[in-house]
Amino acid sequence: MRVEEYRDWFMVGSLALMLAAATPTLALFVHLPSGSESFSELWLLGPGHKAEGYPFNVTVNGDYRVYVGVGNRLGYSAYYRVYVKFRNQTQPLPVDSNSTPSPLPPLYEFDFFVRDGEVWESLLNFRVLGVERSNDSMTVNSLSINGVAFGVNSTSLWDAEKNGFYYQLFFELWLYNMTSQGFQYHSRHVRMWLNVTA
Amino acid sequence: MTGTVSALKFSFALMLLLIASSRFFAPVTFAGVGEVETASALADAEGALVSAYQAVLKAEEAGANVSGLLARLNEAGGFLAQARMAYRLGYFDEAASFADSSRNIGGEVQDAALELKDAAVSEGWQSTMLTMVASVVGVAVIAIGSLWTWHFLKRRYGGGGFPRSESAS
Repeated sequence: MRVEEYRDWFMVGSLALMLAAATPTLALFVHLPSGSESFSELWLLGPGHKAEGYPFNVTVNGDYRVYVGVGNRLGYSAYYRVYVKFRNQTQPLPVDSNSTPSPLPPLYEFDFFVRDGEVWESLLNFRVLGVERSNDSMTVNSLSINGVAFGVNSTSLWDAEKNGFYYQLFFELWLYNMTSQGFQYHSRHVRMWLNVTA
Repeated sequence: MTGTVSALKFSFALMLLLIASSRFFAPVTFAGVGEVETASALADAEGALVSAYQAVLKAEEAGANVSGLLARLNEAGGFLAQARMAYRLGYFDEAASFADSSRNIGGEVQDAALELKDAAVSEGWQSTMLTMVASVVGVAVIAIGSLWTWHFLKRRYGGGGFPRSESAS
């Protein structure tokens, strides 16, 4: 058996070794797509820090709390804003499918930054400060969120099917867009129903 | 002469009138400026925070560890949110104070991010050069070693092929 018969194998082996030696440098210039999807998460947890026990029957001057959280899987450190809004049954909600936020004015808001792969979470305490009730309607005059009082003046009609005056506290996620140099609705919101009782 | 005296009297009377009327106009004027100034302070704070964020992103892209800077940015973001809420509620003094705090932190973070980015770029450049030199040396050593080994094998076994073991032969 002559050594020349192994020339091709020898060359392939040598080239493979050279490629292995050059790989760290090649990795500096060749970036393969990660293939992972980029997205953000928005969640709401009850007072026990679980997805249960959310406040529902809310009395005037009662203290309630929930946790709101955001997870960043965008691939870069992101600048987020969460708007807290309050509505009655007829006022508009955001439409996530076409990235339209609710036109209602925000009450409370959070501005924060989250590294890729990390999460942000905050406690939110709220209290209904004042209501006016007639036979078939109730008006929530003001609401306190994390100790800050906001005038809302939102009126809800009596829901005969569900026996209550229903409102929603909802949270919209906004993201700072570097291209447009401004915040844009990030097509994510979470909400909870509140049955306000005088 | 009489005309000059009349002009002086008129000027003096006008001055007194302006001083007296300023008592009524001043509060209104100051209230308006307060809201406008606060709006300007808010815009400044938002601009400072965005600039700081962009600087942090660049530092992060350069390979710097920006955890500490993001924590500071979150403090600034908290102040900015407080400022915006206070402004909407009409508490302009508080809003201006929160906006100033946010802007100051934003400025600090931006400066720190620029320094971090420069350090990261320098370290990254050194690391890149080291990697490239190591790769070039590695490839060269393997290429030369392979050629030398091949020629050695050809000289040693080229004529009669690889030596066979005793049992095989």
